[in-house]
Amino acid sequence: MHFQKKRCIAMLLAGGQGSRLKVLTEKTAKPAVPFGGKYRIIDFPLSNCVNSGIDTVGILTQYQPLELNEYIGNGQPWGLNKTHSCAQVLPPYERHDKKSGWYKGTANAIYQNIDFIERFNPDYVVILSGDHIYKMDYSAMVEYHERNNASCTIAVRDVPLAEASRFGILNTNPDSSIYEFEEKPAKPKSTNASMGIYVFNWDVLRQALIADEEDPNSSNDFGKNIIPNLLNAGHKMMAYNFDGYWKDVGTINSLWEANMELLGKNPEFNIRGAEHARIYARNYALPSSYIDSNAKTVNCFIAEGSEVYGTVHHSIISTDCSIGEGALVEDSVLMPGVVIESGAIVRHAILGENSKICRNAVVGGAFGPKEKKKISVTAKGTVLEENTVLLPGEML
Amino acid sequence: MNVMGIIFANDANMGDLADKRTMGSIPFGGRYRQVDFHLSNMAAAGIRHVGIISRRNYQSLINHIGSGEEWGLELEEGGLEFLTPYAMSASHSYRGKLENLYHGMNFLNYGANDEYVILADSAILANLDLNRILSNHIESGKDITVVTKAGIADGRKQLDLAIRLDKKGEVADLAVDYVAPKSYLASMDLFVISKTLLKKLVNECIARNLFHMDRDLILGSWQSGQISLNVYQFTGLAMFNETIEEYFCNSLALIDQNIRQDLFYRHHPVYTKVRDRVPSYYGEACQIDNCIVADGCMLEGTVSHSVLFRQVSVKEGCCIQNCLIMNDTVVGENCQLEYVILDKDVTVRPGSKLIGTPSNPIIIKRGEIV
Repeated sequence: MHFQKKRCIAMLLAGGQGSRLKVLTEKTAKPAVPFGGKYRIIDFPLSNCVNSGIDTVGILTQYQPLELNEYIGNGQPWGLNKTHSCAQVLPPYERHDKKSGWYKGTANAIYQNIDFIERFNPDYVVILSGDHIYKMDYSAMVEYHERNNASCTIAVRDVPLAEASRFGILNTNPDSSIYEFEEKPAKPKSTNASMGIYVFNWDVLRQALIADEEDPNSSNDFGKNIIPNLLNAGHKMMAYNFDGYWKDVGTINSLWEANMELLGKNPEFNIRGAEHARIYARNYALPSSYIDSNAKTVNCFIAEGSEVYGTVHHSIISTDCSIGEGALVEDSVLMPGVVIESGAIVRHAILGENSKICRNAVVGGAFGPKEKKKISVTAKGTVLEENTVLLPGEML
Repeated sequence: MNVMGIIFANDANMGDLADKRTMGSIPFGGRYRQVDFHLSNMAAAGIRHVGIISRRNYQSLINHIGSGEEWGLELEEGGLEFLTPYAMSASHSYRGKLENLYHGMNFLNYGANDEYVILADSAILANLDLNRILSNHIESGKDITVVTKAGIADGRKQLDLAIRLDKKGEVADLAVDYVAPKSYLASMDLFVISKTLLKKLVNECIARNLFHMDRDLILGSWQSGQISLNVYQFTGLAMFNETIEEYFCNSLALIDQNIRQDLFYRHHPVYTKVRDRVPSYYGEACQIDNCIVADGCMLEGTVSHSVLFRQVSVKEGCCIQNCLIMNDTVVGENCQLEYVILDKDVTVRPGSKLIGTPSNPIIIKRGEIV
């Protein structure tokens, strides 16, 4: 079979569990976690690819892939199912030489799929992860990479010094070339944090992956092994500054915050945006939403198929939810298919898909603006019985 | 299922709304076009060949339906076909559905295994189980099945085809373009017929310069004893959107939960073109009640008893009641609107006041600035 040569393809690391999302990722991979009313986290990197003119995306899956695979399908919602495009799910597989098996690390996941990448004979490979909410034009980053004749370009953003030790920190020369990389340093020398978005020359990455695989002491990770090794080998590596909205949604609190940052007249993250910067999602055939005469809907997102009879304040109501008469939903994220029966009260909560909060049950509590918010969480399909209580910060 | 489908999306008697649209491409219920309902009925019944007949103004229809992907009708074998007219001299345009069918005859020759044809009209919306109707047709042993609805005839509405049954349930009377009393059933312009018979009847009518589906093919053939009729009475919700008044009233009827349930969930989901809009945003000052709201709206004002289509923007201080507001329309600050239909891409300048009546809603044409 003959494949068209591609200048640039993307590989999306979507195999992680996201264990800090606790019950929300018990039965689903983190990239498939619902976000913003009708999206899933993976819609953001996938839509960014499409909007950047990248039409070939390999998606590396490992942890709980059922829902994720089903969601990606043939890539149709992102227009990646055409003759010359693809969204190819790449699970780990068994090989004749027994050298494969589960993906040992991020670099090993790409290593095991060298054959997939080779089909397209690309000049550049963009490495992405399915953990972040942001809009970015990768083609501008690839152009920057090309212009600077770099072997590798890493997207960076400025983070507060106090948080810098949670990230991979890049120390750069005035021309933005990187001279040092420190993974989660105790005493960071700069605040340039890696966003985990890399552009590589494919020939350089290919060699680095093969060399890394031969090193028995390597943990086969981009941040820990591939990047430092390339630096030590004297490759030209550039930092690409990105100052748009970008949020790691790896924890319950950050997932809640990122959802809330969609709200307001001038939201911190404007998910709308221009025609060419739209976020695409798989759509289900649901009618318009209905807002009843007794409903109150203030400062909230309400997605299609939802029916609101109660009060919603400062919340995200996803597709196909229903909120009964006299119920109150405040400062909360309702994932698709959640049912809130009449008289129930939900505050500061993330309710997993198809959760049901029965009559007069109470979830969570109120917090002052400066207080650390304890978010109550329910797993997919949870039923909270009538008149029962789920305390602030509790999970079910 | 060995049946093919034909949906008529012809000219609409809908004033300015149909200026550049067919009956099938009239927007409905926030997210839909009228043709979506029969397309979904046919797709859900497993029909693999669907022809869409339209006479003119069909750009919006083709744009909406595209390859039929959203209805699962983008198929290797068969799938969806637009049966648009051939170029004609200015003096001659298709006069009736039979001329449409005659010119679309090639389509009927596809799908060699399709024994039956279901003919539907996009002016009438319902969530139907077409397999049940087909089985009923076959069991009846009659030549043509007419799907009907009781309770539409009210002594005021002119019916395209009215049917009265005798006590045994046989057809006692047929009338075309008739203001029928309540005892009559209204045809839902939905017929089941064998392909062979349809081709024969269409050819015969055209040869005699007859072109009217209800008058010539159904009534004429029945009166001459050429065909026998089976009547299938549909008990679910059927919306006849044949005039602006009906369309306006049926649109607002969606506010009733039972009506929504029947139209959107009775047998199967209703599919439509995906637009990838964000969820609607309800602002700090907005008051929304008794409304149907599609995706992508930005709502800052007061709206009650209305239907808001995709990406509508309602600014602060507005007071909107009993209105239909279509895609991408912007209503500026402090407007007062009652009984108004704002078509797509309309801009209403801040402070405007537009008041229509239930039977005569004001219609603002697509793209206008008022």
